[in-house]
Amino acid sequence: MTWADLPALYPMLIPAATAVLLLLTLTVRRDARLAAGVAMAGFIAGLLALAASAAELSHPVTMLLTVDRFAVVFWGILLFAGLLVSVFAVGYFRTLREPREEFYLLWLLAVVGAMVMAASAHFAAFFLGLELLSVSLYVLIAYPRMQSRAVEAGVKYLILAGASSAFVLFGMALTYAATGTLTFAELFTHLTLFPGDVLLLGGVVMILVGVGFKLALVPFHFWTPDVYEGAPLPVTAAVATVSKGAAFALLTRLLLGVIQAQPGHSTLAVIFTLLALASMIVGNLLALAQGNLKRLLAYSSIANMGYALTAFIAGGDAARVAIPYFFAGYIVAVLAAFGVMTQLSTPEHELQEVEDYRGLAWRYPWSAALLTVALLSLAGIPLTAGFLGKFFVLTAGMAAGRWTLVVTLVLTSGLGLYYYLRVITALYQAPLEGEQPTPPPLHLPHRLSVLTGLALAVLAALLLLLGVYPSPVLHLLAWP
Amino acid sequence: MVPFAWIILVSILLFALGAIALITRRNAVAALMGVELMLNAANLNFVAAWRYYYPDHLDAQVAVLLVITIAAAEAAVGLAIILNLYRRFGTVDLDQIRLMRG
Repeated sequence: MTWADLPALYPMLIPAATAVLLLLTLTVRRDARLAAGVAMAGFIAGLLALAASAAELSHPVTMLLTVDRFAVVFWGILLFAGLLVSVFAVGYFRTLREPREEFYLLWLLAVVGAMVMAASAHFAAFFLGLELLSVSLYVLIAYPRMQSRAVEAGVKYLILAGASSAFVLFGMALTYAATGTLTFAELFTHLTLFPGDVLLLGGVVMILVGVGFKLALVPFHFWTPDVYEGAPLPVTAAVATVSKGAAFALLTRLLLGVIQAQPGHSTLAVIFTLLALASMIVGNLLALAQGNLKRLLAYSSIANMGYALTAFIAGGDAARVAIPYFFAGYIVAVLAAFGVMTQLSTPEHELQEVEDYRGLAWRYPWSAALLTVALLSLAGIPLTAGFLGKFFVLTAGMAAGRWTLVVTLVLTSGLGLYYYLRVITALYQAPLEGEQPTPPPLHLPHRLSVLTGLALAVLAALLLLLGVYPSPVLHLLAWP
Repeated sequence: MVPFAWIILVSILLFALGAIALITRRNAVAALMGVELMLNAANLNFVAAWRYYYPDHLDAQVAVLLVITIAAAEAAVGLAIILNLYRRFGTVDLDQIRLMRG
């Protein structure tokens, strides 16, 4: 590595340096607003530095990382999600009586870990990024330490994520024994030359278990609803966006080439097809009967990862556009949904049940409108980001002739429409008067700050813009 | 020298024991110990692969050092969270900690 390589890494180095700076700041002055401000400045500086990385694309920086267009696009998505989650956290944690400065510190580190994963070209970088993200998330999930549910969710995530890391590591050790290399490029060569090597294939499958856990693919999804429900809302948003985006970027980097190079029904392709089918079907079916909005979004995210996997299995240039576009739409929609929920909740009292949102439109029309658009986007209704994302995924699937996946995607999306619409109808129903003397309290615990209002407005604009005017983003995504 | 396959077998056995501990032990600390066992099984595998097949490369050794460091960090954070779990619930028995289900 030379000095000339450094600018390409600025978007990642700046948030990392901000974390150190924040640590030093906290020793001098403990102030939650200051901490949040420093973290947001770090994310914004990182976003601005993307221009420097984009100037010199597609070059390996040491043997550990590759900064190409794919990495830069995902870095942009991750930094954007990082910024918005910290904005939401400011309002949400306002009533927390415990120290809340460290939240921003850990969150910066988690996003840096996710960025390392998205750009990694070597197992060492992969594992380091994965652990930086996971260990930060353990603490973030259990952050409100007086809330029993958060602590329970934290312990569950700790033990299961620890086990999944062990699977990843054991898989790496097996592939190393089989190939003698830790770089993705060499792994690709070996996998295409010897597709039947048991040791190698076993290693790759074990790595898949770990990645599948992070993506909450069926059958590795059991932790998802509990962790979503127990974690504080901004962290739930983080688990649903940053953690999944990073894991999927990594999966694409590691295996998209292999899937493409191998004939249509190789062992790996079959495994991925089964995972995708199971995720789409089980995720959507379990969401149907769900009365808790956080758990509903958890199952919806499982199904969405199944959709993304469809594009991944299809491979080809279409997938290279479809995957980032789908993720951009998914992440914006999820952030918008959780953003609205965050504004109506405090750590002590979160609005989680669908029933809690009954009649929201009559009190907070703008919040209800944004939540509606976000859910419609997740359902894939035209004019929203989610529709185009799904459209590109379907195009990729059809181009590759993966008809089982395409048909399942369409059918299960229809199923999904039902439960999203159930929430949306609740938003516009009149509050119950007869059955309950007092409808569930829907109070804004604090006035909407300018910053949060701005963040929600940006999300709303992006949801519609990505849905009707995709060409600037598509131009950006044109694979080098 | 012992054949390489045997060492792989031992490491797989170690990994399986860790996984069994994780599944069957209801004590959160014991479950965490199971995870540590699984990580160390991977380490054994790395070292063996280096010693038998690739003694000229340092990749595996560096990887093992990395893993030991990360496992220590993970254990520190994990024990802190489990300590807090004990303060909240008065127990570290995972079966008794079930506020959420559905």
